[in-house]
Amino acid sequence: MKSRLREALYIGLFDALPLLRDPMLLVVISLFSFLPVIFIFVFADQKSAVQSLVGAIVLTFSFTGLFASQSVYFNKQWFRFQDMLVASKVSPASYAVGLSVSGLVVALPGVLVALVLLLLSGPTSVVGIFLLIATSLILWIGLVFVGFAIGATTKNARRANSIPQVLSIAMGFLPPVYYPLARLDAYPIAKAFAMLIPTTHAAQLAKYYFGLIVIPDWEVALGWAYLLGFAALMGFLASRRAHWVDP
Amino acid sequence: MEVVRVEDLGKTYPGGTKALEGVSFSIQKGEIFCLLGRNGAGKTTLLRILATQLKPTVGRAFVLGHDVLQDPKAIRPHIAVVPQEARPQMLLSPYDHILYFCLIRGRSRAEARERTRKVMDDLGLWEHRDKLASDLSGGLRQRLIIAMALVADPEVLFLDEPTIGLDPLGRRSVWHMLRELTRKGATILLTTHYLDEAEMLADDLLIVDKGRTAFLGTVEAAKGDTGVGMRVIVEPPAGNGTAPPEVLEPRSAEEVLAIVERGLREKRKVTFKPASLEEAFIKIVGGSIEVEAT
Repeated sequence: MKSRLREALYIGLFDALPLLRDPMLLVVISLFSFLPVIFIFVFADQKSAVQSLVGAIVLTFSFTGLFASQSVYFNKQWFRFQDMLVASKVSPASYAVGLSVSGLVVALPGVLVALVLLLLSGPTSVVGIFLLIATSLILWIGLVFVGFAIGATTKNARRANSIPQVLSIAMGFLPPVYYPLARLDAYPIAKAFAMLIPTTHAAQLAKYYFGLIVIPDWEVALGWAYLLGFAALMGFLASRRAHWVDP
Repeated sequence: MEVVRVEDLGKTYPGGTKALEGVSFSIQKGEIFCLLGRNGAGKTTLLRILATQLKPTVGRAFVLGHDVLQDPKAIRPHIAVVPQEARPQMLLSPYDHILYFCLIRGRSRAEARERTRKVMDDLGLWEHRDKLASDLSGGLRQRLIIAMALVADPEVLFLDEPTIGLDPLGRRSVWHMLRELTRKGATILLTTHYLDEAEMLADDLLIVDKGRTAFLGTVEAAKGDTGVGMRVIVEPPAGNGTAPPEVLEPRSAEEVLAIVERGLREKRKVTFKPASLEEAFIKIVGGSIEVEAT
């Protein structure tokens, strides 16, 4: 077990190393999902800005999950490092965990900055922060699986770059993550679509646990069930698509 | 001692493409075994099956006594691969690549540093250790990929066109290094399109064509079996520069002697051209090329 964790750690570090070697780029990438917060802070009230900050934390996790597809694709098809690692004692689980966690390392500075800002913005509880992180991590796991399925299926570098970006817009900027779900009350069809997107549920739960919105218990239960079900379904999909040994 | 054994191996890809059919051979410890064939002949498929990266559809293959399909985990710690068209991560240095691959494969930090230094020295990479891979020449990048495999100190090394893009000196340093590895007991299977490389390195070779065995044996046997022998070129007599040179293929030492005597008598220049593997290769796979052309 210890050697597997060590493998995963070094695989993750090796995958994240280009960014860790260039801290300026790391800061820009990790703060990317927080840019809309600045505009909301300028053009709306502080409460909306705090809501969007929580949404940005959720999205940072989801983007790093989705962008695992690039690591999977480039290590397999471009660098061919996956082939080199298959022919070694490295386990497929270590490899998958390593590539997934490398994204989190990149996201960490942005998340820490956001958490500090949240703490400064008003009273909060340790439980609130814990549940915010837990919600984001469940979503992250589901989207890492999506990333693996995409990365393993994609056959060219152009698609490996564009598909996660398109999905990021569809899952991050369009649904009510930065803005409240209540904004869609006047558009029932848009609201129904939004409820199909996992980031909506993760953002709702995170805002709820942070005391920014009030939702009924059944909606909390639905949110968790949706996120867990999504992660399980995507895990199944990834296991069918991503192969350690080619068939 | 037999390190690799392949029995009637076949591979049909999920899309229906038949890449290999009925291939059998074995490789002994310390041997360099070359796989030759045209593009798409099945060389990479065969190498990837033996390196436990791809599942065969029929037949069996054993590496170090373990079945590649049933027991790949027993094989993997003892092998390393240089994949075809592998590229380094451009934003990292050669040292990062090699050190991290060493660490990932389970060495301690101290061991990994020592081993990285040794392999980089052996491959002439140490002076480039801190450059970004994007600043390296194509040849140095290829050497870096080879170093990433060698750092594992494998018992069996699989190389898929390892010297592609290397200059003649770079190729020779890789050849020297491969010979050193076999001297220490490693076994090497490599695919190449450079027939001089196969001629220089191969203890045994397999020529595959359309997924099937076209030839299996030594380089000398390849030349002998195909009737490709030494050629003797007899230049025209001085003062008769327009006449074409005679190209003769002597079958015995007596015939060679007779040609030399005639050259001396008629004061004609006689040049000996040894048979090449390239000629044998073209004869072996040439039949299928002609069939395709018609």
